[in-house]
Order: sequence, then C-alpha cells, then structure tokens
Amino acid sequence: MDIIESKSWVEWLITIAKFAFCFVPVLYILLLIPMERRGAGFMQDRQGPNRSYIKFPIFGRVRLFGYVQNMCDGTKLFFKEMFAPKGSSKFLYYLGPAIPFAIVFLSPCVIPWFGPMAFEWGGKAVKISGSILDSDVGILLLFGLSSLSAYGAVLSGWASKSKYSYLGSLRTSAMTVSYEVCQGLSMMGLLVLAGSFNLTDIVSWQEHHVWGIVAQPVAFFCFLIATIAETGRAPFDVAEGEPELVAGYHTEYGAMQFGMFYMGEYAHICIASFLVATLFLGGYSVPFVTTETMQAHMGGSLTVLCGILAFLALAFLHMVHRYSKKLALSKQSNKMVILQEYKLYNLVGGIAAVVFIAAAICAWMFYTPEVAYTASGANTLATALGTAVIHLLVLVIKSVMFCWVWIWVRWTLPRFRYDHVMHLGWKIILNIAILNLIVTAVIAKLVGGSN
Amino acid sequence: MLALIYFIVLAVIAVGSAICVLLAKHPLYGALSLILSMLSMAGIYGLLGSPFMGVVQIMVYAGAIVMLLTFVIMVLNAGKDNNTPRFDKVSLFVVPAVVVLCGLVGFVLVRAPLAFDATTIRGSVKFTSETLFNMAQNGPGYFVLFEVLGLLLLSSMAAAVLMAKKRLGSEVSEKEGK
Repeated sequence: MDIIESKSWVEWLITIAKFAFCFVPVLYILLLIPMERRGAGFMQDRQGPNRSYIKFPIFGRVRLFGYVQNMCDGTKLFFKEMFAPKGSSKFLYYLGPAIPFAIVFLSPCVIPWFGPMAFEWGGKAVKISGSILDSDVGILLLFGLSSLSAYGAVLSGWASKSKYSYLGSLRTSAMTVSYEVCQGLSMMGLLVLAGSFNLTDIVSWQEHHVWGIVAQPVAFFCFLIATIAETGRAPFDVAEGEPELVAGYHTEYGAMQFGMFYMGEYAHICIASFLVATLFLGGYSVPFVTTETMQAHMGGSLTVLCGILAFLALAFLHMVHRYSKKLALSKQSNKMVILQEYKLYNLVGGIAAVVFIAAAICAWMFYTPEVAYTASGANTLATALGTAVIHLLVLVIKSVMFCWVWIWVRWTLPRFRYDHVMHLGWKIILNIAILNLIVTAVIAKLVGGSN
Repeated sequence: MLALIYFIVLAVIAVGSAICVLLAKHPLYGALSLILSMLSMAGIYGLLGSPFMGVVQIMVYAGAIVMLLTFVIMVLNAGKDNNTPRFDKVSLFVVPAVVVLCGLVGFVLVRAPLAFDATTIRGSVKFTSETLFNMAQNGPGYFVLFEVLGLLLLSSMAAAVLMAKKRLGSEVSEKEGK
C-alpha cells in the first residue's frame, strides 16, 4: 500500500476532489437549456419560457427568469412512461441513448481545469496536475471518446425499426465521421506549434507565447465549424430535418430516453466549448498575465477577482432595477406579482455585492505577497488554491462565451442541405485544414529549427 | 496487484467478447462485440504503459473502421442467420489448428524467458515518434515504410474514387439518364 502512503492527506483530498469535475457537463446542462430557450426568445423577439413558478412565503411567485420552467419540463420527462416499439431489438433500443450520455462523464477527464498546483506541505514539495488524468495523449483520448459517441445515434436509429430513425441515424453518423477528420486535422497545426498532445502543455505554451486564435486563426474557424457539426446542432442538424425526417434517430424515443439524447447534446456542447477555449483561447490562463506574475501578487489578484464578481452583482442589480422601473410604468395586469418577485433578486444581488466588496477589501488588506511563499521559496497551499480558483473561473467564463456562440449560430443560420454539408466538409474545410497544417509545419521548421 | 486485477477483468472481457463475435447469429451483435473486444484491448495497452497505442486503437478501429462496418451491416439490412449450421465439416479442420496454436504458444511461453525491460518497449508518444521518424543513417528506417504505406493508401483511395466515377459515366447510367 505504498501508493497510498506516498501522498499526504491534502494531496489525496485534492486528487479525489478533482473527480467532481466529471459532473461539470451535467451542471452545464442545467445552465444551457434555459440559456438556449431564453436566447431563442431574445433572438426571435419573443418572450422565452416564463410561466411556471414556485410560491415563496414573502416574495410570492418566483419564476427565476424562466428557470423554473425547465425544472418542470425535466420532472415531466422523468415521470413519463418508457416504452419500446413492437419488433424493435430491445437491448439495443435501451442501450442507444445511454452511450452518448455515458461518454459525457468520461470526456472531461483530460481537460486541464487549472494550472499544475505546486506547493509545499509538511516539508515536502507537492505537485498536482490540473486535469483528472494527466496523460501524454490527452487530446487524442478526447477525440477517441467523442468518436465512440456516434454509436449511440447509429444503434438507436437501427433498433427503433422505423424508416425515419434509420435514415436519420445514417445521415448523422456519416456526418459525424466525416467532420471528425476535419476536426482532428484542423487542430494539428496548434499541436505542431506546442509540440505536445498534452492539453496542459498546450495551455502553458499559449500562456507564454500567444493564444491559439492569434497563432492559428484559420485553424480556429475550421475547428469551430467542424465542432459545431460534431455536436449535431443547427445549421448541421441533418439528422432532424423536419421536412423529410421527423426527428431523426430519436423519433421513436420518449420520456427520459429522449431526455438522455437531449441532455447528451447539451453536454456535448459544454465539452466542445471547453475544448475550443482550451485549445484556442488560452484555456485557464488569465489574459496578459502569466501564472508566475499572478502568484507573486496573490493579494492583488484576489482583489481584482472579487472586484469583477462585485461588478457583476452590481450589474445584475442594475438590470433588475431597470426591469422593475419599466414594469411599474407599464399596464401589465400581473405587474405587482412580478415586482414582488424582483424584491428577492434585489436582496440576493445586494448581499452578493456587499460580500464581494468586503472580500476584495479583505484580500487587499490582509493577503500580502510575502505570505504567498514559504521559507524555501515554494508556494503555500493557500496561494496554490487561490490560483486554482482564479484559473477555474477564467476557464468557465471563456467556455460560457463559446456556449453562447453555439446558441447564437443555431438561431441565426438556416439548416444546410445534406449534400451541402458533405461538400463543405470534404471539399472545403478538409483542404483548408491540410493546407494550414502544411504551412504551419514549414514555418515551424524554418523558425523553430529542428523541432 | 491493482494492475493485475485490472488486467484480469479486461482480459476476460476481451476474450469473452471475441468469442461472442464467433457465436453471434446477428452480424450487428457480432460487430458490437468486436468493438467491446477492441475497447478492452485498448485498456490492456494502457496498462502496458503505452497509452498512445490504446487511444489509436479506440480512434481508428473502434471509432472509424468498425463504425463503417456497422454502417455496411445496417445498409445491407442483414438479419439473424438461423440457417447456417454453427459446426460443419470445415470446423473439423479448425479445431486441430486451434489446439496446435495453443500448444505452440504454450511451448514458446515455457521456453523463452518472460523478463523484458519495460522502459524500452513502452509506446509513449515521444518514444513512438522518435523511433518512427528516426532518419539517421543507421536508424531502423521505419519512416520509409511509413511513406510507402501512406502512398499505398492514397493510391487505393484514388482508385476507389476513379471506380466510383466510372460507374457514373458508364453506358448503362447514361441510358437511364435519357
């Protein structure tokens, strides 16, 4: 059992706590479904879902900007009856939705959530990697897993014994397989520059040189298009072209089986946006500041972080204030109910703003840079944890921005025809990606030397 | 110890699903057991300390090649085959072959020492690339093989495209077009 004794308890605690990151895609589902529905409402100049509410004693009907609606939808899906069509092969029919959803839990294991933590504990130097699995083949593992998730579509389409599902699954899997090639080739240029498959190395290369989007702008757009296609959303949702195929490979599915496809799609968006942020937007690294600088001025960094959070809380308060002013002047019949609800938001936002401002002042006053280091010059545990929190928040902000890109693209562009999709994939993006790779390789050889 | 437990679990899954490929009456179930076998093989590669091979196994074989295989099975709409007998006269020749193979493998395992230096055979990305693209004069020369294989694949792809094109422009299709 020397493997257990070789690490101190803090090391073990952090290592095990990192497994909680497996559930990040699931949390993102909760964020993304309301975000998509509100976003669709915003883009099409209509109201989003906002009818369901929870009744609170003082604040009346709280609708949480429509978030309660999604809880109701989820509950409905969860309690519906599951059934299989007659003549379908039962095992594959029930297995189909589980495959993409299971892969959701495996995929986040190689994404670096924060920089490698290096600190001193009990007189020993401790180093903990930012990803759950610090592997040499990081990004390849991610691609391997995402290529497996296409089996969910194939099997469920075949097992449903329905021509609509069957055609939908054929089209989806053909598209997924072809765009996987483009996706892999378009990020190869970046890998050549960074010289590693390990995502932590790629991020630290970007931190010390330039972001991937600056170094490889062409690859970024190819990768973004291929990744949107890979998630199977509009304008690439050839699986569910309503005019010709009812709802693609999940036509026959209902209840939570459909729910799993639905949640799998959003979790896929989450992972894809984390991947784009990690590969091309510098991942966890803070713009214009290297990790070393940040750790040298830990108190100031924490102050800036709390200041940004306080600003967000104040912006939220301002939004609620503007809404309630507009409501008070309008002639809506239920405006008193809504104004009552807004009191809750004012309370929460006000408390958050006060807390964040207080935390910022505390960080500035009491966390001096001298405290950040031990006698031998290594970081303390507090500095390492603070760096990890800042890194994580930066990564989350970048990925949420990309999630919005997905929603934005979906509600802006019309669906492509199937042959257009294939033409774009094989004849345009693939060639651009190969050209980009060759040019990058030549330049890297000329500039970087023997690498 | 832990590695041994992992290895036994993975090996049982790999061999069991490989037997399932032989026994499955439905081709799609056969393809699925093939995938399961490949995935557990990838796990065994990872245990041996060469994760690169394992991931390539998942990406190329499980992700792409067997995907195309299931594709073909689906398009051909193959059904459950209850007519072909599982054992016939040919199997009489297969059984001794398997026995002889087992004997040979057992003989080799008993004779040859199993001790090897794990660090030299490990297939990390760095080691693989350094071995594969070693262009030194006295190197192994694998890069020539690599290039030849690439050309071979390219030529077969071009041939496939040409053959598909020919079908489109042939007399039969032109007649149908009129």
